Amino acid sequence: MNEEPDILKIVKEDILKVVGGKDEKIPLKSIEVDTAVSSSIVSEAIKELKEEGLIEISSEKETGEEYIQLTKEGRVRANVIIKKHDILEEYFKERRSEEEAIKAADILEHYISIEVINTIKKLNTFKDKGIPLTEFKQEEGLITDINLNIELFERIVSMGICPGEKIRIIGQIPNGIIIEVKNKKFALDKEIARKMKVLEYEKA
Amino acid sequence: MKKLKILLIGQPNVGKSSLFNALVGPKVTVSNYPGTTVEVIKAKKKINNTEIEFVDTPGIYSISDRTEEEKVTESVLFEEEVDGAIIIVDALSLERSLYIVLQILEAEIPVIIALNFLEDAQKRGIKIDCEKLEKLLNVPIVSINPLTKKGINKLVEVALKEFFEPTRRIEDGTRQGFKVKYDDHIEKAINKISTEVEGKLPKRFIAIRVLEEDEDFYKYLKDKRVVREAKEGLQEHPKIAEDISITRYGTASFIASKVTQIIPLKKEKSERKIDRILLHKIWGPLITFLSLLAIFAILLWLGNLTQEVLMGLTEKFLSSFDAVEHSIIGMVLIQGLTGLAGGISIALPYVFLFYFLLGLLEDVGILSRFIVNTERFLKKIGLPGKSFIPLLLGLGCTAPAIRATRVLSSKKEQFRTASLFAFVPCSSRIAIIMGIVGFYGGGLLAFSVFATSIVAGLIWAFGIKKFIQIKNEPLLLELPPYRRPLLKNVFAKSWIRMKDFVYLVIPLLALGGMAYGVLEITGLTNIIIEPFSPITRWLGLPAVTIIPLVFGFLQKDLTGAMLISVIGSEISLALTPIQIYTFGVASTIGIPCIIALGMLINEFGFKKATVLTITSIIYGFLFAGLVWRIISIF
Repeated sequence: MNEEPDILKIVKEDILKVVGGKDEKIPLKSIEVDTAVSSSIVSEAIKELKEEGLIEISSEKETGEEYIQLTKEGRVRANVIIKKHDILEEYFKERRSEEEAIKAADILEHYISIEVINTIKKLNTFKDKGIPLTEFKQEEGLITDINLNIELFERIVSMGICPGEKIRIIGQIPNGIIIEVKNKKFALDKEIARKMKVLEYEKA
Repeated sequence: MKKLKILLIGQPNVGKSSLFNALVGPKVTVSNYPGTTVEVIKAKKKINNTEIEFVDTPGIYSISDRTEEEKVTESVLFEEEVDGAIIIVDALSLERSLYIVLQILEAEIPVIIALNFLEDAQKRGIKIDCEKLEKLLNVPIVSINPLTKKGINKLVEVALKEFFEPTRRIEDGTRQGFKVKYDDHIEKAINKISTEVEGKLPKRFIAIRVLEEDEDFYKYLKDKRVVREAKEGLQEHPKIAEDISITRYGTASFIASKVTQIIPLKKEKSERKIDRILLHKIWGPLITFLSLLAIFAILLWLGNLTQEVLMGLTEKFLSSFDAVEHSIIGMVLIQGLTGLAGGISIALPYVFLFYFLLGLLEDVGILSRFIVNTERFLKKIGLPGKSFIPLLLGLGCTAPAIRATRVLSSKKEQFRTASLFAFVPCSSRIAIIMGIVGFYGGGLLAFSVFATSIVAGLIWAFGIKKFIQIKNEPLLLELPPYRRPLLKNVFAKSWIRMKDFVYLVIPLLALGGMAYGVLEITGLTNIIIEPFSPITRWLGLPAVTIIPLVFGFLQKDLTGAMLISVIGSEISLALTPIQIYTFGVASTIGIPCIIALGMLINEFGFKKATVLTITSIIYGFLFAGLVWRIISIF
């Protein structure tokens, strides 16, 4: 019923981010330490990145150790991800602790589109941070925050319900609320709705 | 002859290459891959005594993000002498398209907007007021469809009119495109820098690009120190570049919202109507319950039909083995085949039909509404809404249903749901209830066994909820649109759910039957009668019934046959109605068989699985004995 979040895509982006965060080439081995997933997925991701021409692998003659380096195109992609992360991190820092902000940005950067990032940038300039969805009376609004534990946060953003997205309230049900985001309808628990902040669309 | 040079600009996948082809003929191939036009493609065409050169640029989202494509487009835009630009705008994402329009208008290049996908937008209920947009932007707009060539001639016509002597038009203000107005502090900085700009390009544009930290534009400045001067006194606004793009984006979305109107489509309206009923607080659960009941009625009816046919076939097949029946191997083989036949004739049609109907409900979009409705009640017994599907699948076969609990987000939730399979009768257990209890004891008795299962399950679930604290998984579910199901998809989905059953369960059913055959021939089955007699005494059943109760665990479908073999085919004479009922309860509550146990071990480990299985069976026996005693009082 539910689509699994695309782990490979996430790992690939994480690798680009890790390599892109440093100026020189870095040892292949250190990648596996940085991202906490099984090594088979990491090597699969590296293989695909190489095929897509985003990274290059070179080995040092003396030690035989392999190094990973971004290509020009890979650098562009990495910069986009890093930029997304920075914008998101800064955004969430206004709303929660630094540690949690980084965590939230680490997740959301994989799911959010450039378009929505622009909205996030704009939202960051607003003083009005929105009201809980349960108290929201208009039909349309803009999601400004979803303050859930990390697992639930990842699940909800992987379904496309992200801060910065437009939200439409369709109706109430006894155990929750029916909303529409990106042309998709969802049934949301009241518990989640309470922790979701929404801004009037007109104000935005 | 007059000459015109026109640039095509637009986002990737906006139909730019198709438009280019429609304008100049099929000189370049159109491909669906994003970023097809990595290089700049040019083509000339003579129209009305004018030679028009069209230049196709790479697809870009803006001219500020510094990708290769953007650099190429930018250099064509400013370094070649172009008379104007046709910007292809995607009616489906007006907001994003308008960003680049606003940016190019800042460069004071004459612009025509070619609005693509307008029909698609209309189909999705997005209505765009073109006249209003034209007035707001002060730019001509032509609605096009490169595939049907609609609007292409008009586009050329407008371009010829618009792009001749564009400078004059801009200077006398008749075609001064919309300009984004920035915050006062930014405007001040723009004005300041403008004074130091030299060259042909518009001063305001250069100033904005410089403030956006685009170093390529520094060369147009007479004195670069002006940048630092302009930014001085703006320390409170350290992110001017970002503020500029935010304002531009904000303006784009403002204009988009002014001219767009979302009309709920007919389909959406009817969908809402259906939802209002299906998700109604009273009707919703009622419809859910009645639909499931109806499905079971259909299943029992269809299942019986196919079962009769298949049973007839397998019996014929088995009777051909009569000759070997008296050899030991023959007897083992026959038990194995009976087990296999049980699997195929009882479970296969039932399980497959059930999974098919379930897949159908899922694909039509109704199942997720049912989940929402049942969530309210499942939550009360401490289960997440998503456990609904595995629980339903459990009515087919427990083994694949145990695997299906993986949709739940935590192992704890998974285990708790799996424990309830002790009370959700699978097809084999339903066959015992209908075929033995119902057949020999009557419908009411069969119904009481079902009811007892439900009560025992509820007590179990409440008990777990009370003693094991698990934070409930909140409702978070996509409600797909209602649609006509594709039978191919439904078949494929049912097959995936059936796979475990066919490849794993059915062979094991044959093995279980054979194992029972071996035990029976060697007389080992009788050994347990004496030591287990306290259990049968507790249940108020003849001591021999322990054989089907215990060995049914090897192959549940054989339970009925085992019962007949130990007490004879005249079950209604050998057992009282209460005994039939007690036998039904004792043999159906609990993790049903060794295959389910194996699946539990696979998912949760040996210890947890065996503890659950043994506990659930003891619980079933306790419950059956208790109910029998309570009834006897009256």
